[in-house]
Amino acid sequence: MIAPQAYEHSMQASPLLLAAGSGRTGAVHDRRRRRLFFCSALAGALVLAFWTGAATSARAQNIALQTASGGVTISGSNPNWLAGFGNVNGLGLGTPGAGVSLITSGVSGGVLYTTPYTIHVAGAGGGNRAVVRAYVSTNFTHPAILQLQSCYPAASCSTASSYTILPTSAAAEIDVISIPGVLNANYDGSLGLFVSNLSGAGAFAGADSATITLHTYAWNGSVLQLKDTDTLTLNSPSENVQTAVQLLLASAGGITISPASDFSTSFGSVNGLGIGPAPGLTVTGVGGGVLYRTPYSIQPTFASFSSATGTVKVYVSTDFGHPTILELRDSPDNVTYTAISKLVGSQTNLTSTAASTTPITRYLGLFVSNSNGLSAFTGADSAILTYTLMVP
Amino acid sequence: MTKRFILAAVVMAVVAMPALAGTSATGTNTVSPTLQVNVTVAKAISLTLSTGSQCVVNAGGAPPDYTMSFGTVDPLGISAGACGAKFNPTTPGSTPAVYYSDYKLTPVFAGQSTTNNTITAYISTDFSATAAGLLAIVQSNTLPNVIGDLTAMSKLAGAQTSVATNAASGTAITRYIGVSVAPMNGAGTLTGADSATTTYTLTVQ
Repeated sequence: MIAPQAYEHSMQASPLLLAAGSGRTGAVHDRRRRRLFFCSALAGALVLAFWTGAATSARAQNIALQTASGGVTISGSNPNWLAGFGNVNGLGLGTPGAGVSLITSGVSGGVLYTTPYTIHVAGAGGGNRAVVRAYVSTNFTHPAILQLQSCYPAASCSTASSYTILPTSAAAEIDVISIPGVLNANYDGSLGLFVSNLSGAGAFAGADSATITLHTYAWNGSVLQLKDTDTLTLNSPSENVQTAVQLLLASAGGITISPASDFSTSFGSVNGLGIGPAPGLTVTGVGGGVLYRTPYSIQPTFASFSSATGTVKVYVSTDFGHPTILELRDSPDNVTYTAISKLVGSQTNLTSTAASTTPITRYLGLFVSNSNGLSAFTGADSAILTYTLMVP
Repeated sequence: MTKRFILAAVVMAVVAMPALAGTSATGTNTVSPTLQVNVTVAKAISLTLSTGSQCVVNAGGAPPDYTMSFGTVDPLGISAGACGAKFNPTTPGSTPAVYYSDYKLTPVFAGQSTTNNTITAYISTDFSATAAGLLAIVQSNTLPNVIGDLTAMSKLAGAQTSVATNAASGTAITRYIGVSVAPMNGAGTLTGADSATTTYTLTVQ
């Protein structure tokens, strides 16, 4: 197989060689003709030898981008390729698009979406190997939110630290396939897309795209020679940054809060006298009974909102079966407790200044009546609190 | 064409819905996780003793739960005792002297289907055998005016002395307990330190 550029060079050599064979007739000029012909033939042979040698020593390395197994679809035509990450968000919530994976560990300020892609190398041989370098030739319009990164080979790209930020100038382009380069075959790299979890000033939600330029060089052991230029435009589909919100609850030194539908906790066996509270609980006497108390953590996280703060509210969406015996109360300081609202339209406000990734320690109280007689109750009961995080 | 439009509209509607549920969501600004709070309510009952206006009721080493000490007593009522009051013997040398004190009992109960209750007591551990007949626990549910108002505390778990009936939960009641010291002479250990334990029972039913 001959590479397109190499084939082109060979065709340029032939006419020159052929032109040298035409001449005039006559005895006087025979020797001159023969001398001229000899010289021309010699020159033609030298030119042919030069071009043939050039084609051998600097065959035109080039690449084609292809869809890798487990990667996003790469379309377009050589040398202009198309791909895209589709919907992304700064928290990495949800399931990434087809062919896209997610790395959250070791990523600061956001998440890293990744996808493998295949570099099909052709025209490399005869002592010349292909070296591929890349840079972002057209960056995202929101470069603080979206950033392209590169990793090679794909098999080593499972951690965030294995990725390198793609520069935005040709002069600073980085190796994808480094010196000494590779021969003709398919090689898988991985493309990373960092998505910031920023909210507030500078945040962005919406569609964006960028273009990567890949340069393919011939490497003969001492000199790099540019042979091919390809582009990969990430607009098919575009990177669509979505807003993302998450609200988690967790234990904070009190009773355990378990992640189950969505969360659950148990005060264990309680009584109206506060005798023998379960580990993690404190109990104090209050009018008409006792109050079991526990700290817990509210953990709001959100990304790509224009506001840097949100509101967290709570209400009793499903009350106890015996609401005169049991009541849920809230406290910001473990001192002053108030009954949690039972009205969805008038919820108990926990905070109006919740910052993303900043846990809030709150106290949940369970009032247990000490009543006796016909209204008394013993046995199991449960209630459901619904928390709502809203970011304007 | 209409079917395609409807299908497209449905697809768009589904795509436009906020992704995920529960704890997280994308493409929206609100998320509402839930916390289920489980609890098991149990009956509870408590009976505590505390100091009245006389002898101090101290917390014990569990057991005993509480202690009270009358100090030095004698069958003639000569000793003043460490605390409380005393009745001298009606007939010195023939009838006992009684040293006694008030104290408080506080019954508390919750989650009970009734407020009917009783408080009973008996001597679960009597004074030492060598002093049997010398010392006895006596008690009264009202302020004793004469020595005879303080009567012997039962020593039988199955036939306890009634201390209160239908006491109000959370309200302290005052009762009286004492030591009767008989005028005995002769062989045996008739002087020195001794103690007995009274067990109180609150029952709500």
